[in-house]
Amino acid sequence: MQFFGGSEISPSPPVPTASGNNAHMIYVFNRNGVCLLYREWNRPLHTLNAQQDHKLMFGLLFSLKSLTAKMDPTNLDKGNLGVPQLPGQGCSFHSFRTNTYKLSFMETPSGIKIILVTHPRTGDLRDSLKYIYNLYVEYVAKNPLYTPGTPIRCDLFDTTLDQYVRSIA
Amino acid sequence: MGREVSESCIDSLLTEMVTTYCNRFYANKPELAARRIEAIGFQVGHQLSERYTMERPRFSDHLEAIKFICKDFWSELFKKQIDNLKTNHRGTFVLQDNRFRWLTHLSLDPTTENTEDPNGRSENKGAQVASMHLYFPCGIIRGALSNLGIPCAVSADISNLPQCSFVIRIKA
Repeated sequence: MQFFGGSEISPSPPVPTASGNNAHMIYVFNRNGVCLLYREWNRPLHTLNAQQDHKLMFGLLFSLKSLTAKMDPTNLDKGNLGVPQLPGQGCSFHSFRTNTYKLSFMETPSGIKIILVTHPRTGDLRDSLKYIYNLYVEYVAKNPLYTPGTPIRCDLFDTTLDQYVRSIA
Repeated sequence: MGREVSESCIDSLLTEMVTTYCNRFYANKPELAARRIEAIGFQVGHQLSERYTMERPRFSDHLEAIKFICKDFWSELFKKQIDNLKTNHRGTFVLQDNRFRWLTHLSLDPTTENTEDPNGRSENKGAQVASMHLYFPCGIIRGALSNLGIPCAVSADISNLPQCSFVIRIKA
């Protein structure tokens, strides 16, 4: 089963339009709802304080995933709700779009959720989210100084993530 | 054709070895932990140098042995050679690797480097933990050289990651 490639970071997927600086913010949660990373590049409006914002985001996505799986007209069995599945298997919610932004989501089998909010005309970001997960594995999960379950404070991850996100639309 | 092993497995094993020795076996005695880890490296280096010098003639002098470490030995271990070798011709050699393979995934906490601690202790803590991971490769080098008949002392310097310098001091 070759979902996440070899030990080298997989080459980044082709960028649709590289106009840079179009991502608004990114959240990374683990399976217990701990917000491992929150970075924002462009967010003029803050309605809630940080804690509430993270809780709201986590709750929203948890509910959306359950709802979309339950409403699936093509699936015969009830499925295991709440259990992270391989992306692409079962019914998995991956993005929603409003007139002002697009939110892209990916959950890995280990329960790591990556949420990226960008401008509304962004294409399908599933491959980009997979690449960001690869960055997480290389620079956070394999970092000897990182304790799993704690907020991410790794220099290398921050810089490579920043560079990558600025290069996608 | 030898057997192969996953690199992630080796990385995780080495990380866990250092963490176990530092946090469980010798929890408040970093010196002892460092010594144990270096001793493990010594054994490993001893055995590896035996294997990799099987078909070679004996080395004529210290410089030849160090060059063997820089080129063949390092290529077998890390698939690349040492990038820069410096010596003072009086028994001290500095081996510089611009991208040390076992340190590529290591990065320090950016926030602690900004705190103003009068003793600079918070900054040193991150660097101290990182330096624990270097005792193993230092031991490997010391073991390899000792097997070639060159007793020495090896230390490492990571002032700019991922670049790493190993300083070998040959006992006269």
